[in-house]
Amino acid sequence: MKTFVLALAVMLPCLAAGPEGKSLGNPAAPMRMDLYGDFTCGHCKMLHEQLLPRIVADYVTPGKAYLVFHEFTLTGPGHEHSQAASLYAAAAARVGKYQQVCDALFLTQSSWALSGKVWEAVSPALTPAEQKKVQVLMKDPSVAAEVQRDLEQGMAARVNQTPTLVMTRKGKQTPWSYWNDYGLFKSTVDMLLSK
Amino acid sequence: MVFSKNRIVQIAVVVLRFAMGGAFAYAGYVKLAEPWQLFAANIADYEVVPMWAAKFLAHTFPWFEVLLGALLITGRWFRTSTAATSLLLLVFVGLMVHAKVGGKNINCGCFGSDEPISWKTFVRDGSMLAVSLYLTAMAFRNRRKPA
Repeated sequence: MKTFVLALAVMLPCLAAGPEGKSLGNPAAPMRMDLYGDFTCGHCKMLHEQLLPRIVADYVTPGKAYLVFHEFTLTGPGHEHSQAASLYAAAAARVGKYQQVCDALFLTQSSWALSGKVWEAVSPALTPAEQKKVQVLMKDPSVAAEVQRDLEQGMAARVNQTPTLVMTRKGKQTPWSYWNDYGLFKSTVDMLLSK
Repeated sequence: MVFSKNRIVQIAVVVLRFAMGGAFAYAGYVKLAEPWQLFAANIADYEVVPMWAAKFLAHTFPWFEVLLGALLITGRWFRTSTAATSLLLLVFVGLMVHAKVGGKNINCGCFGSDEPISWKTFVRDGSMLAVSLYLTAMAFRNRRKPA
């Protein structure tokens, strides 16, 4: 996570305000990466903490890719609190604290995903003033609509598991959901970028 | 016009040969049109071969599918091609069953990289296996020439 924060700090000058504060990098980058994840998904935690810093360092910081985050909220056993986490993250994005809340949610995933105490995981990442705003925004129908839109967008992009990263290059979408070999992912991105 | 039973069987075998050959050639073409890494990832997801083997198969297997499709369509090496097709489909269905039983929610990797294993893939591959076994039986029955 430290690497991720460091990478973010390094790239701050080239950060662009994306959709609702849920993006990193230059929107004019040659590749767009749409990342669909769920806060209760174990593989998403691994991706966020171990691989995302590398993706940011390899592609977003150098301006090769524009990364956009999407909530692909899972349902069913084990995902009872996914919706609340997605809503808090989307609300936090509106006060400019999306990444910080994502970090906090993934860091304490094993705790709140069982207990349902999502706010206890989210609140330390926010200032008291931001906490008040996020609590209000969390109940805002437009935030719920945004979370639903993310899910629908993912389904339209044929996302069928999390985490999935959909790479768009010259209008062609390439979904990727195999995260056990970063080298394989990297060679795919490099190949797509070379075309 | 009256067709004899043998003639109907011969026509059916030709039609099924073209259908199976077309399906295999198309499956290979789809994989070749995508970055090879996507198919390598699909193979690796099954967790039955090491990554180096997944990469090797991702590079070579789509060409084998195209070749098999061409052999089925042309009727060359008919017994070998139908037997190989049946064997492959048995392996594919077996792998899908293995993945489902193991609780894996992965892509089939059959026709492109973004098709999750589902009852549809089982029905499709199961039907293909049935057709392939029938063609194999026909191929070994008509030893002297392809239908």
